[in-house]
Amino acid sequence: MSLLIALLASTLFISNAMKDEYNKIISTYPDIVITNQKALRDSTIDENEVNKLLAIEGVSSAVPRVWGNYYFLNADKKFLILGKDEFETYPNPLLNENLDIKNHSMLISLGVKKILDDNYYHNYFNFIESNGSIKKMQIQSLLNTKESLKNPLVIIMNKDDAQEIFQYSKNEVTDLAVTVVNRSEVAFVATKIRILFPSAKVSIKKDLRVFYENVYNLRSGFFLTVFIITFFTFFIIIYDKVSGLNSEQRYEIGILKALGWRVGDVLSAKLYEGLIVSLFSYILGISMAFIYVYLLNAPYLKDIFLNNYDLIGDFKIVFSVDYNTLSLLFLLSVPIYIAATIIPSWRVATLEADEVMR
Amino acid sequence: MFTNKISKLFFLFTLLSVSLFAYPQISQDVKDKKIYPMGEKIYNAKCKGADLTQFKTYDTLFSSLQKDKPCGDLNRKHTVALSLYLWDVKFKNAKTYKKLTVSKDAKCQVCGMFLHGHPNWVSRINYPKGETYNFDGMKCMFKFYFNNKEGIKDILVQDYYTLQTINARKAYFVVGSDVYGPMGYELVPFKDKKSATIFLLEHNGKKIYSFDEVTEHMVRNLDR
Amino acid sequence: MIKLNNISKIYEKNVVALDNVSLWFKEGELVVLKGVSGSGKSTILSLIAGLVKPTTGEVLVDEKKISKIPDHFVSQYRQKNIGFIFQKYNLISSLNVSENILLPLVPLNLKRSECKRRLESVLKQFSIEDKRDTLVKNLSGGEQQRTAIARASINSPKIILADEPTANLDEKLSLEFIKILKDLKSQNKTIIVATHDPLFFNLDFVDRTIEVNNGKIIS
Repeated sequence: MSLLIALLASTLFISNAMKDEYNKIISTYPDIVITNQKALRDSTIDENEVNKLLAIEGVSSAVPRVWGNYYFLNADKKFLILGKDEFETYPNPLLNENLDIKNHSMLISLGVKKILDDNYYHNYFNFIESNGSIKKMQIQSLLNTKESLKNPLVIIMNKDDAQEIFQYSKNEVTDLAVTVVNRSEVAFVATKIRILFPSAKVSIKKDLRVFYENVYNLRSGFFLTVFIITFFTFFIIIYDKVSGLNSEQRYEIGILKALGWRVGDVLSAKLYEGLIVSLFSYILGISMAFIYVYLLNAPYLKDIFLNNYDLIGDFKIVFSVDYNTLSLLFLLSVPIYIAATIIPSWRVATLEADEVMR
Repeated sequence: MFTNKISKLFFLFTLLSVSLFAYPQISQDVKDKKIYPMGEKIYNAKCKGADLTQFKTYDTLFSSLQKDKPCGDLNRKHTVALSLYLWDVKFKNAKTYKKLTVSKDAKCQVCGMFLHGHPNWVSRINYPKGETYNFDGMKCMFKFYFNNKEGIKDILVQDYYTLQTINARKAYFVVGSDVYGPMGYELVPFKDKKSATIFLLEHNGKKIYSFDEVTEHMVRNLDR
Repeated sequence: MIKLNNISKIYEKNVVALDNVSLWFKEGELVVLKGVSGSGKSTILSLIAGLVKPTTGEVLVDEKKISKIPDHFVSQYRQKNIGFIFQKYNLISSLNVSENILLPLVPLNLKRSECKRRLESVLKQFSIEDKRDTLVKNLSGGEQQRTAIARASINSPKIILADEPTANLDEKLSLEFIKILKDLKSQNKTIIVATHDPLFFNLDFVDRTIEVNNGKIIS
């Protein structure tokens, strides 16, 4: 019983942790992102288009974003470069935290620092632009951030430096990030935007959630399988109990009856027995799950959840107590087990004691 | 002929310089949503200790920012943002209200519903001595208001599009739209007539009312 | 005070255990029911204890018709008045001696101190004090029997019923049992023993011997 509960509890804990994780990640995303497309492929957009967006009622802010990937040949790794204007306010708090980047300087994450150090770049790095020319960027300092980074290879620099590396012209940006403060208006605003920018890809944050749900395999086969197996085993246990006691247990109940125990006395005793067993296994199971998931970080089980994309990378599971899940597990296991214990006892106890003992 | 050219050049120059310094033509939306926030950020970051109150015109402010650099080195875009922010917002000291936040167990004074489930619809009435009442939507607020008109200090609601806290008595309300509040049919509040009109068109509203035009009968009808 | 009036008990497949039997027992009597296995004497005990209901007829104990009252009240009657020593002892093997002995007291809701007092008293009375924590399955035959007797007396019943108590014992232990019986008799309890062990016949402290054969009373 305990193992079952532990298994179920672990899976539920992990999925909860993941839900929290991607909610956290998504909260840093803008409500709507407009990406220009040419031939249905992502392309760049003029940053002054932002003014058209600001004219829409409901749009509380719209910022042009410069970001992209840079392939570092020697290390065979991709860096994520985020460009920022010093005084723009971006939806992603990471960009708003790190201020005061000098010109031709950059802030790098720990992962990037390690790679650069391995390649003997300690104080600066040379980006190779697409026309072959070299852009030297000073390493100003490490990225200052409290949260664990979703992508470990991040570089932040000034917008114009980023534009130069990507060979964007002065007003060219990667996409436009729109914030709509009133959530009920988001869909409406998106529709208006689609009319304004017919050839652009307009992504809404809500759609992202669906995407991430799939990434985290909440509905995946494995999760379902675990559920099914657990429930099935549970039912077998219960069924076995309900379908009748074995001869020894009937014998015991018969003796009790012969000694003067009333039906009610027998049932209360069985109730205590059932309560103690199920409570104990519940607590044991939950504790095992807690230890497995939160202390040990759930090896094996977690990998199965992350298998599709490495967008998330490895993440530390944050300790959180979800009363909903705990109550659900409790209600599923304890009362049912108790019922399964009491019902057959009741059936036996109401027979004539003598018959049972024969 | 030579003087003609020179005078032409001079004319062009003055024209250019005037337009260089003149108050830029930018739409209000762009100003509210982009320019002022950026200007505020720049001001808070770089203008510590600078005394910028002595300028009488926008032009003098702008040229001083450029030449004397009391707020450090700024590119053109940032300078424009800062000067507009200072001129339109900071120096005017327009009254802004704080965001209407409620605690987890706050309830509507009229209908008793918990407010934290619908934070966008919270409205508030303040009294001078500090008494304050919260409401779940405009209907409840108006119901209270019609029975307690005396001695009210402020009535605050949230503009639908920006969720900024605005003075209800200067606001416009749209009735009959397809947007429902937590208590069903609602009056949807807006900080100006322009946004109210756009909302009316896009969400099939029936009519726009100013605060004074709202009647008890109207509010009661919404309860159907 | 125990009356069996026109009792017939027919089990399934028309097995006639008792055929129109009428008996009575006085308070404080020690009666031996004599007969071979299957004669119906065990059934008489079961009827008195309320473990079975008669097919026809009624069983009265102290003028109460225990054969007609619902199971709940029969159990109550049993827990207060009856101490039964089964042929197979019917102890719960997974429990120890003390736990087995205390079982009849559970529904009576006595104070812990009272239960403890009674437990000590019967442990002493039947010389099994040192075995109090031993599991039943680790006891010898004699010790098991004494445990069964202790269990049957802990609720201070008025009536003690013993079904073939010496069937699994050697002569020495059987004599010990008879000695215990004598002690119980001196406590003025009504005792009915069903047995075919000749040791019980011609005992001087036995008030009556009733012979049972094929469901009928012989003597």
